[in-house]
Amino acid sequence: MTDAAKKQILVVDDAALVRTYYRAALEARGFKVEEALNGLEGLEKILLQSFDLAIVDVNMPQMDGITFVRTVRAMELPVSSTPILMISTEAGPQDIAAARQAGANYYLVKPIKQDTLAEFAAIFCGAH
Amino acid sequence: MTAVLHDSGIITLSGACPVDDAETLLQLLLANPTAEIDWRDCTAAHAAVIQVLLVAKRPLRGPPAGPLLTRIVTPTISSSG
Amino acid sequence: MDEFLEQFLLESRDLIAQAIDDLLALEEKPSDTERLDGAFRAFHTLKGAAGIVDFAAMARTLHAAEDILATIRSSGGAIAPGLLNECLTCLDLTSRWLDAMQTSGVAPATAEAEADDMISRLVGSRDADERDQAPQPQGDDWLQRLDASALARFDGPRVALRYIPSPDAFFQGHDPMALIAGLPHVLGVDVALTDPAVSLDSMAPFSCGLDIVVWMAASAVDVRAALTGAVGLTEIRELAAPGVTQAESDTSKAALLLESQLLVLQDAGSDGLSGRLASAGRTAVHALIHLGRDEAAIVVDQATAKALVERRTSPLVEAIERALTRAGPASVRDDAPARVHVPRALRVDMSRIDALVKLTGELIVLKNAIGHAAKLSQENTQPAVLAASLRDQHAQFDRLATELQTAVLRIRVLPLRSVFRRFPRLVREIAGSVGKTVRLVTEGDDTEADAMIVEALFEPLLHILRNAIDHGIESPERRAAAGKPAMGTVVLRARRESDSVVIDVEDDGAGVDLARVRAVAAQRRIAGADALAAMTDAEAAHLIFAAGFSTATTVTDLSGRGVGLDSVKAAVERLGGRIALETRPGIGTSIALMLPFSLMMTPVMTVEVAGQAFGLPLDSVLETAIVKRNLVVPIGSGHAVVLRDRTVPLIDLTQALGLPHHPPASDQARIVLMSIGPKVAGLEVDRLGERMDVMLKPMDGLLAGVSGVAGTTLLGDGRVLIVLNAEELFD
Repeated sequence: MTDAAKKQILVVDDAALVRTYYRAALEARGFKVEEALNGLEGLEKILLQSFDLAIVDVNMPQMDGITFVRTVRAMELPVSSTPILMISTEAGPQDIAAARQAGANYYLVKPIKQDTLAEFAAIFCGAH
Repeated sequence: MTAVLHDSGIITLSGACPVDDAETLLQLLLANPTAEIDWRDCTAAHAAVIQVLLVAKRPLRGPPAGPLLTRIVTPTISSSG
Repeated sequence: MDEFLEQFLLESRDLIAQAIDDLLALEEKPSDTERLDGAFRAFHTLKGAAGIVDFAAMARTLHAAEDILATIRSSGGAIAPGLLNECLTCLDLTSRWLDAMQTSGVAPATAEAEADDMISRLVGSRDADERDQAPQPQGDDWLQRLDASALARFDGPRVALRYIPSPDAFFQGHDPMALIAGLPHVLGVDVALTDPAVSLDSMAPFSCGLDIVVWMAASAVDVRAALTGAVGLTEIRELAAPGVTQAESDTSKAALLLESQLLVLQDAGSDGLSGRLASAGRTAVHALIHLGRDEAAIVVDQATAKALVERRTSPLVEAIERALTRAGPASVRDDAPARVHVPRALRVDMSRIDALVKLTGELIVLKNAIGHAAKLSQENTQPAVLAASLRDQHAQFDRLATELQTAVLRIRVLPLRSVFRRFPRLVREIAGSVGKTVRLVTEGDDTEADAMIVEALFEPLLHILRNAIDHGIESPERRAAAGKPAMGTVVLRARRESDSVVIDVEDDGAGVDLARVRAVAAQRRIAGADALAAMTDAEAAHLIFAAGFSTATTVTDLSGRGVGLDSVKAAVERLGGRIALETRPGIGTSIALMLPFSLMMTPVMTVEVAGQAFGLPLDSVLETAIVKRNLVVPIGSGHAVVLRDRTVPLIDLTQALGLPHHPPASDQARIVLMSIGPKVAGLEVDRLGERMDVMLKPMDGLLAGVSGVAGTTLLGDGRVLIVLNAEELFD
């Protein structure tokens, strides 16, 4: 009955294991998942297709998560309204503040349980 | 008795050290202020024994034989000296 | 379903109700040890029952809750509100599992995962409670002692345990290291001294002064289970991200997400403002929808639009703040749909039983008094004295009988809430599955009715609600075009109307398409062309309750299940109720179910034909009239009577019942006007009787199939009164 089925989520993280872990959690709840390996690739994907949520790592090669978020928000395009959940191993207040200043809507610190991730995704997408 | 002072001036802990070894170990340590401790043959130790090791802060030769003891990360007793 | 399982479900429901009672009482008075004992026992027994039917998920969930209650019991402390809520949630979950079992006969497949979640919530709340109550300066400093490298991997559960054994632990024969050796999947142990200044000279080797931190790749539940022998202070922490541990429940996660949008907006510079506004607005709207607060979501959505146009954050900030202040736990966590079961056993408030016991006592006293009177009559007592005594006793008996009847009825009463509370979530799901947003407003759920009626109402109401959402409420586009709010509203209201309980289901949809109803009715031969032409709109609208009728142009998985509203009508009538519909094009449809307050009491009006008395159900009697016989005119094969310029079909009850016919004795006809569905019809009788409330006994045995008869009741003079089913008389 969940309407998660129609929701598209972009996962941006350089670690393949992390992407797989997230994908498994999200797909189990019926979400559709696209992956990107870094901020730059994330930008390419998000410009091609609209997403209901982007889950973004902070530390990534080529383009880090903070830059990705700032760029998305600054584009003044419909894509700029994409809700963004940042996930990082950094738990310091300055890290969280940096993500927020860039325009991330929420920040979670690793490790994250699959259920927790899926629940947040559901809330972000207004799914039940 | 599994806490023994050797001629070399080293106190060895071997096998499973029961609670009574805490007193034995303490007495050995007090009597030999410079003795080091070797617990490479120690398979298990009562918490009272560990407590004496912590208070002693003596050089400790390890790693110990018991799997749980190797997981103790406390600096004063995890050094494999 | 086998009897064993049935017994399990019945008992479990009782135990759940009992546990809820106790927990709610504890909420009022947290130190009430009797209630705590009661709750503990109920959880314990429930767990045992689950074990017997091999429902492992239920057993371990209840075990976790029982554990918590046991700890509180032995510590003599009061239960914290957080724990209490989790225990209630646990019962709620169990009750949903039972509903699923009732339907399918087996434990639901989701139970294992739900049990895991529930247990970690229970443990989490217990730890939070322990943190609150711990006498020591706690803080989270000790977590800093964890070896980050051992925990860096993100998958799987991580639990940290802090253990400060009591100083006499060694003397008690306890070895903390042995306890740690028994913990699951130990990753690391950090042992510290509670007093770092202690030296070999001053130390007491058999007095324990250790402060131990252990971290494990295990769940908190497993760790807790292994801690049973601990002597001293323990604290367990599930290692999740900061800010997530507090947000254990889904509801609080959503509230947290909502709240943090304020921070996102706070940081808004001019750079990327619109993206920030739009994303925060979108996130807030979704979080509110997730919380089931659709109205607030609409407000925030509108505020987002305003903020974007004005390029400033304040409209959105204010809207989110407003939504937060009224946030509350509007959790629409609701019971899973389940088939209605007719309760075979009923939990009854003791005070209601006590009332019966008291009445029984009074009856016995009265019996003795009547015995005395009987003796007097044999002793040639003066008739006047005897008559006075009998009159007096009759008056007392009358009062007692009435009280007894009331008391018996009170036992069978349930509030409609018990069925209404299932609907909010179902309505949301149904609406979502057809791409509509619908808000359900329930009113009057305190209204009480006979338990059997309340329990039997779930399916008919679900069907009506489905129909309202599927056919009544328009698509958001059509609503917008009609100038209505995108979100439809369905009101589910219960109210007491004299001896009836009325349940209204009102939608603000498009109304019944009457032209289409007539066309379909003609096409499916539900009514003849002439009959259709003669029908008023109101009568035509009622055709949707006719067997085999469905106006759905496309069969959805909701209403198109081969059963139409005719099944609703049948169900309601089985309960002795009636159904009425009112519809206004473009404005909406209102369906009213009128049900007797109790299955046992039926108000009837007596009439007499051919020297015999019959009862007519009063709820279908509109009025009685005595008219000149010349107003009765033959129409076709039957008769009709003209009343206030309206021609009403008339049936002679004597004829209808096949009783010996006598020529009319007078030039006046006595007529009972009855409402039969949307129609009005007259019944000619010889004599109009009185109104009375009777205990209707359904026809059973050989007579069960007799048509036209609703049931029988015994009259005061010993005669049997046959109560007629008005509807069937006119068929």
